[in-house]
Order: sequence, then structure tokens, then C-alpha cells
Amino acid sequence: MTAYIVRRLLATIPVMAIVALFVFFLLHLTPGDPAAVIAGDDASPADIEGIRRKLGLDRPIWEQFGVYVWNLLHGDLGTSIFSNMPVMTLVMQRLEPSVVLAIATLTVAVAFAIPLGVLAAWKADTAVDRVVMGFSVLGFAVPVFLVGYLLIYVFAIQLRWLPVQGYRPLANGVVDTLRSIALPAFALGMTYMALIARITRASMLEVLSEDYIRTARAKGVATPSVLLRHALKNAAIPIVTVIGIGFALLISGVVITETVFNIPGLGRLTVDAILKRDYPIIQGLIIIFAGVKVLVNLLIDISYTFFDPRIRQ
Amino acid sequence: MKSNVSTAATAPIATNGDTILSVQDLRTHFYTRDGVVRAVDGVTFDLARGETLCIVGESGCGKSVTALSILGLIPPKIGEIVSGSIRFDGTELTTESEREMRSIRGNRISMIFQEPMTSLNPVLTVGEQISESLRIHQRLDRRAAWDRAIEMLALVRIADPKRRAGEYPHQLSGGMRQRVMIAMALACNPQVLVADEPTTALDVTIQAQILNLMLELKDRLGTAIVLITHDLGVVAETAQRVIVMYAGRMVEEAPVRELLNNPKHPYTRGLIGSIPRRKSGGARGRTRGRLQEISGLVPSLREPIPGCAFAPRCSFATPRCITEQPPFEAHGPRHFAACWEVARIEATSSDQLVSSPT
Repeated sequence: MTAYIVRRLLATIPVMAIVALFVFFLLHLTPGDPAAVIAGDDASPADIEGIRRKLGLDRPIWEQFGVYVWNLLHGDLGTSIFSNMPVMTLVMQRLEPSVVLAIATLTVAVAFAIPLGVLAAWKADTAVDRVVMGFSVLGFAVPVFLVGYLLIYVFAIQLRWLPVQGYRPLANGVVDTLRSIALPAFALGMTYMALIARITRASMLEVLSEDYIRTARAKGVATPSVLLRHALKNAAIPIVTVIGIGFALLISGVVITETVFNIPGLGRLTVDAILKRDYPIIQGLIIIFAGVKVLVNLLIDISYTFFDPRIRQ
Repeated sequence: MKSNVSTAATAPIATNGDTILSVQDLRTHFYTRDGVVRAVDGVTFDLARGETLCIVGESGCGKSVTALSILGLIPPKIGEIVSGSIRFDGTELTTESEREMRSIRGNRISMIFQEPMTSLNPVLTVGEQISESLRIHQRLDRRAAWDRAIEMLALVRIADPKRRAGEYPHQLSGGMRQRVMIAMALACNPQVLVADEPTTALDVTIQAQILNLMLELKDRLGTAIVLITHDLGVVAETAQRVIVMYAGRMVEEAPVRELLNNPKHPYTRGLIGSIPRRKSGGARGRTRGRLQEISGLVPSLREPIPGCAFAPRCSFATPRCITEQPPFEAHGPRHFAACWEVARIEATSSDQLVSSPT
């Protein structure tokens, strides 16, 4: 078990090293002088020179890379060109809304999707199954911004139950945070609900045809216990994989939702940085997102051992 | 040959008060895209308390479906029991509610399946899987059920049962897994154990161990066993009475010695002829030069078969065999067969049976 985790942990090192290498050369792979690219179209030669010096671009490339890696290892992602703030600080400010939104979204999605998926598998090829799967197609098909505006209109404007937009940090009270995140979590959750319900149904259907399910029935086990105790745990691996990937995607790219609900998360930081060509932020975000994905993958792998004893050796 | 009747097993036969399970004219059909499959097409037998009954036949002859029908485990919508009766200890099972069936399954009637590799849940420890039936049927608490599960593992002779109880199926060998299945099936002391090819998937060396274990526990616990197999060797070692099935129908029934020594139905004779064996009474103990095979294929069960299902493969078949179903009738004490040509077959030496020798 420990050996398994250590092995997985060690496997993340080369991945992160390759990402760091790629991110460093990102700037140098863009055609032309990186300093000129950053400075933009109407910059004076003096501006370009200033940027060159500030970013250390006047030094030999291997020295630059060494400094970059050294800084990375110390948690220093560089400094934003426009705000002059450390990238790490900017990311950290935006991290909380994104993480809270991602967790809330997946909680909503999983809470509905797994029972629905199990139900659909149990009642496979009946009206119940078709209704559930019909809604899941709908969940995929309707764009998030449409659902978002609809939810705002009904619950914030008409019923006045929840705030229209904005994010309340956890520091000001969890209830306020949850109220501010409820609508975006549902809007975003629709897609993930649909996805997870489908995976749950497919995985459950496969497991329900296994011999050990027949054994459980032959023992006199009642249907709820057959579904949850005997089948769901066996069906869990594809489901947690999708949930994990969902989390990683949610952290790095929910620009539309953040825009509709005016949430200052990482998605908007990314878009703003790209529009302004704030390369240090872009580089820092790539590193952070890659790190999140590697970490999530690691957690998924470790969670497998919880569901399937055969993976533990 | 006929003189061997006197050596037939003398086990007490079911009288009505002694019958634990009674199956009458059972018909179980499956609904496939290509039509109705008559998997079980009129099966009738009584099982006495503590008796061992073997059901023999090729794959696809309806043995396993008979077993699943008894437990009410025919998957709904795919198949169903269309007619007939299954009476267990005075209760009609075919009309029993799902709730009642659940309280019988694993408790008073248990089942062991063919594949110990896939029949145990890979993510639950064997202790959990055994104690589950005890918790459901005997309402034991977690602790007591676990202790009883360890006792059951010891009973099926698994070494170090305390440690094994906490292990997962993949940590056990095939033979041990089948022992676990037996422990699971017998945990609640059932009156009937249905074992569907319990040794087919095991190594030959393990097969005898598992069969002996089942028979020993049966004697100790007084369980009646319906043992389903295609292996006449298993039949010879275990059964008191044998039913031979072909294409969803019963073709012969007799006490085991009687059946093996004096088979009436050409299909039974074919089965016996197809086992490798030493020449009985041969001084030199030479093996026979050549195994007999039953030529031809099992018929499709999608079309109703008007006559004898075995007729197309039978060298004794007459036009009547094709058109008229032979009745399942007595041809000796406790010996039944469904064949029009028993008299003619009895006059023929068994070496010349089935496929015409070439």
C-alpha cells in the first residue's frame, strides 16, 4: 500500500519536470524577441529593453533556466508584468473561489448523479431509465451560461433567495460563501451530473451482470444492498476517475461560469492574463494547473486502492 | 447387464412425507430476439430430505436453468417459469412473493455456482461475504456473524480461518474459493443445497476433495443436495439417484448403480460410452481402444420439438420417434425413461449403440 503510493508519488516528478521545461521555453518558442512580444505593438525600444532586463532575458538561456527552476522549487512563479504582484500571490487570491466552486459543483453533481445512475442501471430499459438518461442528454446539451442566467432569473431576481452574482470569501462566513456559490454550482453541476450519471449507469450495468451479483441474490440479499454494497463499490473506479478529471477541469477552466456569476476565480485570471499577454502569469498558471492535474491523478490512483483490494499490492 | 439391477443403491426413496422439494412439470422459457427458448420443458422430480440427486446432461440441456428456477433467480423479462410447480417443504415457490423468496434463498435453499473465481465479490472479504447471510437470515450482529463465519471456514477445512476471513477472494486459490462458497451456502444450515457444476472449474486433484467435503457436510448437517454436473464420474461418486436431461427434458431417472449398469435411454448409453474407462472385468485392465462419441448436435430449443428430442442423433430412431413424444414411464423398479424403443435397445449390446460403428 505505502509502496504503491510512493511509486505513484515518484512518477509525478518527471511529469512536473517536463511541464516546467515546456513552460520555460514557451516564451522562447514564440517567434521573435520575447521582450518585444511581451511589450506589445506600440512599445518603445527603451520599454523593450526594460522588460528584457526585468525578466532576466539578457542573460544566457541556461542560466535563465537554472534561475527559473530554482525559483519554482522555492514557490516563486515570477512577477506579473502589469500589476507587479508576485504571480503566486495572484494565483492564491484566485484559488479559493475556484476550489470552492469546483468542490461545490462536484458535490451537487455527485449527490444527484450517482443515485440517478444506479437507478437507471437497476431499471435499465424501462421508462425510468429512459427519463433519467433523457435528462442527462439535456444536461449535456444546454449551455452553462443559459442555465446560469435562467437560475439567476428565477432564484435571484424573482424569488430573491440567493445573490445574483459575486463571491463571498470563506473568511466572511461559510453560509454566505455557500449562498454565493449555490447557483453557479448548480449551473455547472448540470453537465457533470449528466456525465457522472452516464458513467455510473454504464459501470453499474457491467457489474450487475457479474456472477457475484447472482451469488448475492442467491444468498437472499435484498435489492438495495445488492446495488449499493455489492455492485456500486465494484463500479466505483470509472466513476471516481471521471469525478477526479472533473475536478481538475473545474479548477482550470470555468471562465464562462465565472463570468456569468462574476466570480474572481482562476478561469478569469487566465483569460485576463492571456488578453494582456502577461506571460509570467500564464506560465505560472500552466504550472499550477499541471500540478493540480498531477495531484488529482495521484489522488484518483490512491482512491482505487480503497475500492479495489486487488490494486493494493 | 440386467442382472445388475439387484446391486442398485438401496438408499431410502422419497415417500411423500419425506419429500423436501417437489418439482412438477416445470417449464422455464427465455425470450430472445430469435424467439422463445424452451430451456426447461417439463421437468418433474422429488427430492427427499438428506438425499443426493444428480442432474446430468450436456451444456445447454436445462440443468442450470432448473436450478435457477428453484431459487426464483430467472432474470425477469428475459425469462420466466411459464408453468409447473415447485413445492418446498409445503410451500409453493413459483407463486411466492420476492420478499418470501429472499427469506428462503441462502437460508433454507442455498446454491453453489460453477465458477469460484467470479462468483465471489472481489471487493468484499470472504468473512464479510459469509457473515452477510447470517446477518440477513439469523439476524446475528456483526461480531457474532463474523465469529460464525470463522467457524464455517474452519468447517470447510480452510487453514488459519481467522486470518483467511479477513482476506479477499483474489488472495485465495480456486479450491479455497469453492470452499468459501460452500461455507457461505451452508452457513444458515439449509435444507436443500443446489450445486451447479461445483467442481468443473477446479483442478482434477481438487475436485475429489471438494466433492468429499460436500458429501461429508451433507451427512453431518442433513442437507439434501441437487448436484448438477455433466461429469458421470462425479455422478458415480456422489449420487444416490440420477436424472438425465436432454434438450430441456428428462430422458431417464434411476438410482445411480441401476443407471450406470443398466441404462435404458440411448442418450444415457451414449453418455456412459463417451467416458474414458478401463474395460470392466478385463483381466489385463486394458483401456478401450476408442471412445464413443454421440454424433450430431443438441437441437435448437427455439422450435417446439414434437417427438423425442434425441431422435435426430439416435441410431434406433423410428418415424414415430420424430413425431410423437415418448412418455416418461417406468421400465423397472424406480427406473424411468422416455423412449419408445427401450425393448429393442435392451436387446442390443451397449457397444453397438448410438452412432453406427464405422
